[in-house]
Amino acid sequence: MHPVLLKTDVLFFVLLAALSVYVLYARRHEHLCAPWRQVARQPLGMAAAVILCCYLLIAILDSMHFRAALPAAGEGGAVYSRDLTSVFDVLVSPLRTNVERTYSAPFAAEAYAKEVVELADGSNERAYPRLEHGGAHLRDPASERGADIAARLIGGIALGSVLTLALGVVMVTMCARGADRTWAATALRMLRGDAAVPWRPIFATAGLLLLLLGCAIELSPFYHVFGTDQVGNDVLYQALKSIRTGLLIGTLTTLVMLPFALTLGLAAGYFGGWVDDAIQYFYTTLSSIPGVLLVAASALMLEVYMSRHGDSYASLAARADLRLLALCMILGVTNWTSLCRYLRGEAFKLRNVEFVEAARAFGVSDGKILRRHILPNIMHIVMISIVLDFSGLVLAEAVLTYVDIGVDPSMESWGNMINGARLELAREPVVWWSLCAAFTLMFVLVLAANVFADAVRDAFDPRLRGAE
Amino acid sequence: MKPSLLEVDDLAVQFGGQSALVRAVDGLSFAVAAGETVVLVGESGSGKSMAALAIMRLLPTTARITSGAVRLDGDDLFKLPEYRMRDVRGAAIGMIFQEPQSSLNPVMSIGAQLGETLVRHLGLKGAALRARIVEMLEAVGISDAAQRIAQYPHQFSGGMKQRVMIAMALAADPRLLIADEPTTALDVTIQAQVLELIKAEQKRRGMGILFITHDLAVAYQIADRVLVMRQGRLVESGTREAFYSNPQHAYSRQLFDALPSWEKRLREGRGPSPEAAEPLLQVRDLAIEFPIRRGLFKRVVGALRAVDGVSLVIEKGRTLAVVGESGCGKTTMGKGILRLMSLAGGTVEFDGVNLASLDVATMRRYRAQLQVVFQDPVASMNPRMLVGDIIKEGMLAQNIGASTVARDRRVAELLEQVGLERNHAERYPHEFSGGQRQRICIARALAVEPRLLVCDEPTSALDVSVQAQILALLRDLQERLGLSYLFVTHNIGVVAYIAHHVAVMQNGRIVEQGTVDAVLHRPRHDYTRQLLAAVPLIGHPA
Repeated sequence: MHPVLLKTDVLFFVLLAALSVYVLYARRHEHLCAPWRQVARQPLGMAAAVILCCYLLIAILDSMHFRAALPAAGEGGAVYSRDLTSVFDVLVSPLRTNVERTYSAPFAAEAYAKEVVELADGSNERAYPRLEHGGAHLRDPASERGADIAARLIGGIALGSVLTLALGVVMVTMCARGADRTWAATALRMLRGDAAVPWRPIFATAGLLLLLLGCAIELSPFYHVFGTDQVGNDVLYQALKSIRTGLLIGTLTTLVMLPFALTLGLAAGYFGGWVDDAIQYFYTTLSSIPGVLLVAASALMLEVYMSRHGDSYASLAARADLRLLALCMILGVTNWTSLCRYLRGEAFKLRNVEFVEAARAFGVSDGKILRRHILPNIMHIVMISIVLDFSGLVLAEAVLTYVDIGVDPSMESWGNMINGARLELAREPVVWWSLCAAFTLMFVLVLAANVFADAVRDAFDPRLRGAE
Repeated sequence: MKPSLLEVDDLAVQFGGQSALVRAVDGLSFAVAAGETVVLVGESGSGKSMAALAIMRLLPTTARITSGAVRLDGDDLFKLPEYRMRDVRGAAIGMIFQEPQSSLNPVMSIGAQLGETLVRHLGLKGAALRARIVEMLEAVGISDAAQRIAQYPHQFSGGMKQRVMIAMALAADPRLLIADEPTTALDVTIQAQVLELIKAEQKRRGMGILFITHDLAVAYQIADRVLVMRQGRLVESGTREAFYSNPQHAYSRQLFDALPSWEKRLREGRGPSPEAAEPLLQVRDLAIEFPIRRGLFKRVVGALRAVDGVSLVIEKGRTLAVVGESGCGKTTMGKGILRLMSLAGGTVEFDGVNLASLDVATMRRYRAQLQVVFQDPVASMNPRMLVGDIIKEGMLAQNIGASTVARDRRVAELLEQVGLERNHAERYPHEFSGGQRQRICIARALAVEPRLLVCDEPTSALDVSVQAQILALLRDLQERLGLSYLFVTHNIGVVAYIAHHVAVMQNGRIVEQGTVDAVLHRPRHDYTRQLLAAVPLIGHPA
């Protein structure tokens, strides 16, 4: 096994590290803790957070890449596969390896289209051939399949319930230890909803996810839950792999965007005068160019560059990864203007607030004033816009990929799945499951992100706090 | 005894949930008769505004009425359905708020806003409506009313807006007027006019008035009866004469004692005219301009002179008060002296050095000598910093203190010096009350050992009793450390109490200056006389 760090993996882990540093820092600062505690008290927001955590976990697992050692390795040293595998791939390996020849419907045991099959007596017939993996354990799919699925579903639900109970026990134990109460009292408090944190919705959401997980564990080795696509890959696997792409676009873009928005917005608002004029002219010009046009131009330039320097990439995956990173950068560069405008306005207001004037009266330098007085007082806006922008960026990826200027076609992404569905929906009989799977997973992510963003904004926006 | 127009019976208002319950109003009972003015006096947080809002049933959503009844001419207002209550508001009870700015809709013309009430409650239309609007605006003393009804709120001055608000409140001929601090945001001369107007309208209409204020002198000008509230409870009530000649409750007496005045100064045995001292700061022909910019490239086409040729002298260990109404340029002048604003002309000679000619780096070194305390103690401190860090900031910028330990020790000393405790350095500003915050601001300014402190309305956001403490602290620090103060204020009482010299400012110029005794008691300039005459005084009905 040879671990490989793609460029986006590095950035993603840097981002996670930054997040943990922020958490550690915030724990020691009351004014940073208080709004998060308020977020933690909102039932809907916390349910959304559970879903987001689940997506995040998949993305993290899917970002740990390595090259598997090939079994035929000689003595001179291990030989590694050219293909990149992630920890997530290993965990869901039946999904990855159960590849059919072409389309098959969800839970199907036979192919979706008739083919010419050779019968035992040597004659040919047009029929629906059996799938290689889906329902392969059944002798007579027509009669056994329903009962088999039902049995496995019950098994899955049972497994899910066990997992849910286990999670509940762990959660109560941790809370009981933290709050210094007896185990039973803590459990009662949490179940009754007396605790400050709304444990019941958190528990319900986590339970629902675990039930789904249980069912998936029971069913997916034997059936294609979401069917297969044109080349026979499992659609559920693709949709899950797309999570990493979506999350990366949503988070890395922000990482690219922040330095621009922060430095330019603060400088424009705080210094005013010609600095303000220059920055304002710059971002008004940039924001009046249609965004899609800019993205398309940059993406096409990048494509030309990449095909010219094709041999400088270690693998197809590395190349696709670089293209994803470039997309994040392009989106970031074209998207910072609105945040910049907010920050400029806020810095402009703060510039004349009395504590800033007091600092100036002490002879504190501009750099220090910006760092110590202005920046901490606009961070809530940054926080709100990061979470609000996230869902928009996930959707933007789908749209851009649909018009072929998004991520690399070889990369799993919801945009690519939807793009493929354009043809699938046009054929007869219609192949609907690809679109449906991409839509469901993306919808849940965006909805959860929006709900969570609302909770964050309620807690961080001082104007909303005043209106309580 | 006249029959009561408004009866409030055992009113209680609560805030918050079970965990953090606040009784904003607690068992309040009083009555207002027709033609009578009852003044509710109290400091901030005493529940006086909550009581008024509860009577109108306009409480914020987090507050609720837990007991009591309010009867207007015998009708229990708390039992009326909301749609009937809408008829009561405006038609039977008129209300004026503190901020005329935020009470008027900026995108509706004055006439349209006034008309709304008339259409709603009197059903007037067309020419009759217009005639009535003009008539009402004229009644509240707005000239050219026929032309001005098409104008928008931003075209009216603060006092004019408050007149419009009064016209709106009186539009439907209410039987009761509730006025919540209607003159607090206004200058004294405008305040006198507005009070006069309210009194005249009351005489003409015979309505009852519930007047809410924190200012005992304003209360004296208008009250028939005075009610004193504290922490949601009524502590004293009585007729004006009885209350002002012989306040019963200890809290009322404390309020009177806290009022800064010439008499209080004499009582404390500080003479009116101190002997002359050496000058510390000499300002000559100071001018500050705001450039007017036009066009694509924002060329400067002209300038607005906010401060126009001001000359003054501050002596060592003395206080110079600059008085004037809002917009006269007194705050701008203070910032100009501190070089927080660029100067258009003049010299600022501090201990022999002309600050106006220094470059930025040299000025930075001089900043330790001149410090500032602002009006708003909430906005003066970065909410994200600990009090200790806030006080240390100046020391770090000026390289004062040898080490972190030495600076921490100094912070502790300063906190004790301004009457706080050492461990307060570990807290955030929001954990302190307004008065405590102002003490922290003073400690922060003192940290760099200044010789001149510019105090920009340092007590005007504070309650009377807290104001008295801060003034006493400033006086005490002056005696101990030999500080000089440039005290910018609009409050004549504060001037009389703390200043050695006074400069009166109008439209960016100083019209009169001299010792406090001379200016306050023998004013020579017309504007000074006018200003002093407008100040409401207890014992001198206007």
